[in-house]
Amino acid sequence: MGSPEGQKPVLEARGLVKRFGTVLALRGVDFDLRPAEVHALCGENGAGKSTLIKTLSGIWPHGSYEGEILMGGQVQRFRTIADSERAGLSVIHQELALVPEMTVAENVFLGHEPTRLGMVDHDRMLAETDQLLSRWGINVSANASIADLGIGQRQLVEIAKALRKDSKVLILDEPSAALTDKEVEVLLTIVRELRSRGVSSVYISHRLEEVFALSDRITVLRDGQTVITLDTAQTDRAQVIAHMVGRPIDNLFPRRRSHPGKCLLSVKGLSVAEPGGEKKARLSDISFDLHQGEVLGIGGLMGAGRSELLMHLFGIYGERLSGTAELEKAAVPGTPAACIEQGLVLVTEDRKRFGLVLNQTVGFNLSLSAIDEFSPRGFVDRDQEIKRNSEYVDSMRIKAQNQETIAGTLSGGNQQKIVIGKALMTKPKVVLLDEPTRGIDVGAKFEIYELINDLTDQGVAVLLVSSELPELIGMSDRILMLSNGRIGGSFSGSQITQEALLAAAMHPGQSEPQPEQS
Amino acid sequence: MTTQEPQAAKVSPPKQAKVNLRDFSMLIALVLISVVFSLMDPAFLSSRNLSQLAIELSATAVLSLGMLLIIVPGHIDLSVGSGLGLVGGLAAVLITGKGLSAPLALLVSALVSVALYAGMGAIIVKEKIPAFIITLGGLLVFKGVHWLVINNSTIPVVDGGEHNLYSILTTYYLPPTLGYAMAAVIIGLLGLAAFNELKKRKARKLEADSEGAFLSWFLSAQLLALFVLVLNQYRGLPLSLIVLGATAFVIHVLSQHFRFGRYLYAIGGNEEAALVSGVPTDKVVILAFAVMGVIVAISGFLQTAFAGASTTTTGALMELDAIAACVIGGTSLKGGRGTVVGVLFGALIMCVLLNGMTLLALSPEMKFIARGVVLTLAVWMDVRLSRSTARA
Repeated sequence: MGSPEGQKPVLEARGLVKRFGTVLALRGVDFDLRPAEVHALCGENGAGKSTLIKTLSGIWPHGSYEGEILMGGQVQRFRTIADSERAGLSVIHQELALVPEMTVAENVFLGHEPTRLGMVDHDRMLAETDQLLSRWGINVSANASIADLGIGQRQLVEIAKALRKDSKVLILDEPSAALTDKEVEVLLTIVRELRSRGVSSVYISHRLEEVFALSDRITVLRDGQTVITLDTAQTDRAQVIAHMVGRPIDNLFPRRRSHPGKCLLSVKGLSVAEPGGEKKARLSDISFDLHQGEVLGIGGLMGAGRSELLMHLFGIYGERLSGTAELEKAAVPGTPAACIEQGLVLVTEDRKRFGLVLNQTVGFNLSLSAIDEFSPRGFVDRDQEIKRNSEYVDSMRIKAQNQETIAGTLSGGNQQKIVIGKALMTKPKVVLLDEPTRGIDVGAKFEIYELINDLTDQGVAVLLVSSELPELIGMSDRILMLSNGRIGGSFSGSQITQEALLAAAMHPGQSEPQPEQS
Repeated sequence: MTTQEPQAAKVSPPKQAKVNLRDFSMLIALVLISVVFSLMDPAFLSSRNLSQLAIELSATAVLSLGMLLIIVPGHIDLSVGSGLGLVGGLAAVLITGKGLSAPLALLVSALVSVALYAGMGAIIVKEKIPAFIITLGGLLVFKGVHWLVINNSTIPVVDGGEHNLYSILTTYYLPPTLGYAMAAVIIGLLGLAAFNELKKRKARKLEADSEGAFLSWFLSAQLLALFVLVLNQYRGLPLSLIVLGATAFVIHVLSQHFRFGRYLYAIGGNEEAALVSGVPTDKVVILAFAVMGVIVAISGFLQTAFAGASTTTTGALMELDAIAACVIGGTSLKGGRGTVVGVLFGALIMCVLLNGMTLLALSPEMKFIARGVVLTLAVWMDVRLSRSTARA
């Protein structure tokens, strides 16, 4: 306690060790958070970040771990989340805890509703929520229903909920994973504003740009241990990444270009209406060609229609108003099953919803799309199935105890690898990759980039959707920017710059797409 | 919550033990119930009563196995009780009213049944109407049509004093030697299958619980041998039990070893993911309902033959017994979870309860209440156990 009064850490972990059975999830974490500091926590998936947060916030109660947690110099013994909240610590989790059927105000006050004569005082609740939202520059109506909000806006509501509690310490677990660039700006402003008012934050993010834009110090975790704590001003991305993976990565985007072959996928004048009766155009007049061995990147702001384009091509979104999509000169079929048979697969962005049967095993999921191959006449040849699965578990480096491990218990990166492995097992000619590296760690990202290279080397064509511009630029041979469901610009070679792409994404003349008249 | 703790997945030994406890908990419950009944009335364990029980069990258990294929992909079928009444009644009318030969009558009724159920399945998936509603409609319509077909009377499955394929379903017993031979062959095959599976698992370096596998095999062998022994002291193995055994085998292989089965579990676990993975979800569900049509026909024939005639009450409320058997046997109504062995145990528990209570001459009121309580308790226990497993 040599530090001067006031510099005493608001939150401190000393030698935290947490076991699950015989497995050590944390093997000695030291961490301290100073008053009015933003402290970033970096590490690959499985490094122990989430376990650390759960331990700090009382989800893993006192007694289930070794070591000490201190707040303001006092040893804390949290038994529940309520205990840690009372002590002034709020956690904003990766997975949101909002009730979709209720309004923003009702969610912000959930469990703490102001009452008047025993009845919920809706007026006061709305007024106070409005005040809270406008104070922090969050552009959401207090009366809006959560179900009507985008995932980014929901994230901001979640943060507003925590702010209402006047916390001293805010822990943000991947808050920006689903936010648009504009929403990220709002988020960063909020966190900075909090800092200026003396609130400290622990900020966890895979996006190093934000970490460097925001934090005062960076602590790197690896394999459940603190590796190092760095002053942000005195380090750089390469150094942080090197500490995270334990080895330096020289090139973040190892794209190996190959020579494009014949045209595999040809889309001409495609216009697609939203599902539902109104026939409002979601995509208008989209045309492109995709060749063997080529990566065509699809960029755009959130809501530009990138995922919708991929999902429509795969037969699971919207109704075609006009245009054609051809795979090797034959019309792309209208159902996923037929698309897969023709050599077109989709790796979905939302792996929990569209990607995995979470309560089934790794093997079950891996072989689900390609099962025809080893079930002639319907009977599944288990020996062959297990053999094929093993090949993919090995080549994709899926870290699971064995093929019978339940998919839902794996980390996000490993789940993503199963989704990709499942698609590749069908031996596709064209792969639609929708945000293949969302929410996974640097090492796993690198492996997925290598995989894209391997695929194009074998002559597979890849359509790559990504929200991260560096990734899009680094991994694509050509880039198509979408803006409000239209093509905002098409780029290749030296035309590809962050500025040009962003300008195309925000293409001014086409911000108000009109429904097609034809 | 556990998705972020890949480490937690490695703590499998206690989880394994819990699952086993859950499997054996049904056996324990069954033994307990049987002990109570046999103490209250020694006749419960008589070969005559067990033979009776076996025949009663057949129709319900066959139906429950069909229900498994509907519940695993997340649907439900409320129509099967009146459906099996209709199909059984139709066959009886074709034989005694229209003079068709028994095999032909059974075949025609079974085809009608398959068409009806495949049709319901098609409406459910194509028009996206919940199975609950469509099959509730089926329950009412089939009941009405059944009564029309039998003209609100009692139609025997065979003309007085004679025998045909229909009537012998629940009156024919296998000769004792054949029964023993079958039991021996089945025990041998089960052992061989278990041994092969173990060997393969070891070769694949997967967890191989040799003791558990041996214990399961040993227990089933004992039970089977004892059962055949007892039944042979009365009249031998009832034919209906052979029908049940064959159905169970087919459904097991279909659900565990066929692509169709995989798809059922995938749809029940996550329908959207299944669709995106290329599972022809509509076709699979329609096929499951078509198989249900076959099952409804089989259990309809068994149930009608058991009563000797089709009456307006044949099959009444059997859909609920079938659903209860599935749920007691660990099938999740949300879909994606359930096994043939579990459902067989569930059906056995329901039938033993009913048989024992009938033997004790309990009033119908009490029987309904007791069955309801058992169902609720079983589900409650299952929820508790699965919750504690999830926490571990």
